[in-house]
Amino acid sequence: MPLIDQALLALTLLVPLGIAALPIIRAWRDRALALLPLAPLPGLLAVFVVSDGATLVLPDLLLGGRFEISGTAPLFLLLATLLWSLAGLYARSAVAENERRGGFTAFWCVTLTGNLGVFLAADVVSFYVLFAMVSLGAYPLVVHYRTAEAIAAGRVYIGLAILGEVAIFAGLLFATVGLGSLLITDVRAALPLSPHQPYALALLIVGLGIKAGLVPLHVWLPLAHPVAPTPASAVLSGVIVKAGIFGLMQFLPLGFAVPFWAELLMVLGIVTAYYGVLVGLTQRKPKTILAYSTLSQMGLVVALLGSAVAAGADVVAAEVVLAAAAFYALHHGFAKGALFLSVGVAEKAGREVLPWVMAVATLMALAIAGLPFTGGALAKLAMKEAMPAGAALTFVTFSAIGTTLLLGRFVLQLAQTGKASDTARPDLGSLAPWLAVAALALVVPWLLFEPTIGITAETALASDKLWDGIWPVLVAGGIAILAAAEPGSDLAAPARRIVRAVMQALQRLPRPRLPEPTLLYALADGSGRAAERLETGLVRWSIAGTVLLALALGILVALLL
Amino acid sequence: MTAFLPVALLLTALIPAAIIFFLADDRERLRAFINIAGAVIKLGLVGYMLFSVMDGAVYETRFPLVPGLDLWLRADALALLFITLSAFLWLLTTIYAIAYFEGGANLSRFFGFFSLCVAATVGIALSGTAITFFVFYELLTLATWPLVVHKGDEASLAAGRSYLAYTLAGSAVFLSGIVLLTAATGPIVFIEPPEMALVEPWLARTAFVLMVAGLAVKAAMVPLHGWLPIAMAAPAPVSALLHAVAVVKAGAFGIVRVIYDVYGTDLVQDLGLGLPLAVMASVTILYGSYQALRQTGIKRRLAYSTVSQISYIILGASLAGPFATIGGLVHIVHQGIMKITLFFCAGLLDEKLKITRVDQLDGVGRRMPLTMLAFSIGALGMIGVPPTAGFVSKWYLGLGGLQAGQPWVLLVLVGSSLLNAGYFLPLLYRAWFKPLPEGVDESDVDTSSTIERPWGFVGPPLVTALLALVVGLLAASPFSPLGWATLIAERTYLP
Repeated sequence: MPLIDQALLALTLLVPLGIAALPIIRAWRDRALALLPLAPLPGLLAVFVVSDGATLVLPDLLLGGRFEISGTAPLFLLLATLLWSLAGLYARSAVAENERRGGFTAFWCVTLTGNLGVFLAADVVSFYVLFAMVSLGAYPLVVHYRTAEAIAAGRVYIGLAILGEVAIFAGLLFATVGLGSLLITDVRAALPLSPHQPYALALLIVGLGIKAGLVPLHVWLPLAHPVAPTPASAVLSGVIVKAGIFGLMQFLPLGFAVPFWAELLMVLGIVTAYYGVLVGLTQRKPKTILAYSTLSQMGLVVALLGSAVAAGADVVAAEVVLAAAAFYALHHGFAKGALFLSVGVAEKAGREVLPWVMAVATLMALAIAGLPFTGGALAKLAMKEAMPAGAALTFVTFSAIGTTLLLGRFVLQLAQTGKASDTARPDLGSLAPWLAVAALALVVPWLLFEPTIGITAETALASDKLWDGIWPVLVAGGIAILAAAEPGSDLAAPARRIVRAVMQALQRLPRPRLPEPTLLYALADGSGRAAERLETGLVRWSIAGTVLLALALGILVALLL
Repeated sequence: MTAFLPVALLLTALIPAAIIFFLADDRERLRAFINIAGAVIKLGLVGYMLFSVMDGAVYETRFPLVPGLDLWLRADALALLFITLSAFLWLLTTIYAIAYFEGGANLSRFFGFFSLCVAATVGIALSGTAITFFVFYELLTLATWPLVVHKGDEASLAAGRSYLAYTLAGSAVFLSGIVLLTAATGPIVFIEPPEMALVEPWLARTAFVLMVAGLAVKAAMVPLHGWLPIAMAAPAPVSALLHAVAVVKAGAFGIVRVIYDVYGTDLVQDLGLGLPLAVMASVTILYGSYQALRQTGIKRRLAYSTVSQISYIILGASLAGPFATIGGLVHIVHQGIMKITLFFCAGLLDEKLKITRVDQLDGVGRRMPLTMLAFSIGALGMIGVPPTAGFVSKWYLGLGGLQAGQPWVLLVLVGSSLLNAGYFLPLLYRAWFKPLPEGVDESDVDTSSTIERPWGFVGPPLVTALLALVVGLLAASPFSPLGWATLIAERTYLP
């Protein structure tokens, strides 16, 4: 039924957009907030109902709008709709009392619309518009609490968001000029042979890489993700970063050998993966540690995308790799969303409940590290199966140790956030969505592994695969025990000293500072006097007028002579 | 009928002007009625003509001004692009101005010249020859001066002086260019471009430089832009009209006519004139944005922003190629809609809360939400954030630059976007995210329903802001400004 398909595609975007408009009317503010969990539901329905290849064509929209659910989009859309919906349920109790809940609701829905739309857009202009909605719409969520920290983080966020926007804008222009089509599939197919290929790819990687947190474009991410209200942190780290990943997947050339770009992505990805772990280990706040973990995990996905590009002419192989990347992103989204929500839940938990909260958080943490039987084991398996043997694969394998250490540190820090009172219990409105997201992280990968990756999920239960999942956790555990062991015992003392030394060296690493827009300030203030003089000079009409008249008369005289 | 319509278009503004001049100042209702009736009738005529011109009709009238010199009116697609914009914005500005002045002094004088100014703009759009164009261009100069000095204070008079000095000097240079070319080729008729092949290249170049330099004064190209920020002393409705449709647009429109209908894009490129003009326009775009960044007054910041934005049109015209042409032409409309929104809002802020400086904007979003909503849309459009109108202009200009083999144009566009973000986002940040300033307590908030009235004052910016969104969202529709600009470009490039 193409009509139903098209209606669902349209409603996926129109329903959240409509809810975004509700808080304009004061009396509807609370009702709009209550609707947040429902906003993504048409999109969720679309994942199951809309047939592959169904398109919604709106020739008058923008420069010709076209929407469809194809390729890896269903995986991203499934993650996005479920996580946004449950985070929206969580947000109902988290911001219900806040005076700024109207604005929060509106921009939550704007960001949601953009986020879902990015996965549906089939033409570059729609993609760009919706991507801008995610980027700019999330700013009010980041600065929601208006603390000095949030404002400072917001400044870095918006600066890089705008930079990302113009980079994507310029990249898309380079990619589409002279093409005669704005469809993403056409643009992508033409890109490898385009004379503008290097500019287009470089600009797109910068613009989309900012969103995905690619080092060195990541500076906003560890600042912005933690300061937002907890449900917003969950979607920022869970799905919004995936908009950048999905964008890269849409535009990276497949089917052609473009070796430089493949290697660049692999190197950037792996550097990001390890940088996130190293710097994250020096952090104290649980949410900041999680943000660095997101960085690190997205680095792995980008490295995987690099190997998709490296597949060269083998399009089928490349598509298998892309499917694995989408699958990895899907699991990470649920697990990281659950981890962020657990910070909010832990804050409301007293001493009696906290161990339970930590148990679930530990499970999610180990899932991301790839512990057997969790969804994460499948994600790791998909990634390792997709990557050709080589240095990159080795780096990816060993990164699991870092992930375990980093998230282990998170769990330890989380233990210190509980409430003073012993018996405080989190409310059902936070507890239920949190547990639901955690359950999805465990279950959904098992349901989707075979249809997505093409091998049975039982493969993950083979003894060698189990061992693959366990040893990094064991190694990380060993390091952690050595680091925490009492000094004096013979092996522990030197080991402890080494670990301490490493940790201290990490602490001394230059922290990501808040970059001030110094250039802008310098332009606006520093060079002010010269600019002022120039402008006053120009504005004195006598000068301009005289110059002009002299010019005219000179020319006329020259003609008459 | 076809001969009558262009004249009728002129008369819808001229007749109200003639009547209003003789009305007593206290006949507010009658004056408002005549003004609005004229504007509505004009809008109706324009609507009718749009459809028939789209089907290929051309309306033409000529009558002798003095022996040997015909006044020639001609409504082609390009003329209608400009007329539609001016007709629509005139109606809104009239409604806004009536609410703005609320029975001040000398209003019959003001509205008389206001109508005259619009008549001149229509004339400029309809002009079929260079001389006709010049006549209306001068009428515009003279009709605008009383509006600029309307307040009568020292700042206004100084603004009026510098306005006249600049524009009259510019007109002299423009006229010398027309004369020079006419002497070589005979009368310059836009529909039948002069036989430029017979003209010596140096003469053609000189005439081009003179005409464009003269027009560039009104288009506020650096370094001839100095009058524009000073003219901020004028009342808000005048600033709005000045920056969106009337004066600066007339200059830019003139340059567009010279490039497309006198020389033709090929000749402009062959003579080596396109690139220098594109560079001048780019310098203006970046310099204007940069100066805007430094301003602390809201209206002055907007004025420098206009300096920058008008040159997008000239940049589009000076780069040869269909995409650049579309981008430049469509920006005539897009810039008008967005900039008038911003000036309407600046006027509201000044009148209602006495806010004129950027640092007074803290928390205004809560006190005047509708105004700041409109302002925000306009500002985002100026930056080029999709899906606003500004994004569509930039997309086509960027493609045009690449198509013309001038990729540096992208740097200009990106640089200007970043500068625009640099001077508009702090305003939005203050208005929406900063707490209320000290001395304003919470009880002053939620007064939107009393402050943001009457609707005649707040409605126009809301309508134009909505329009700035809609023309971007539905850009691909044949009835959008983009659709119309594409039509013009097709007729230019596929004759």
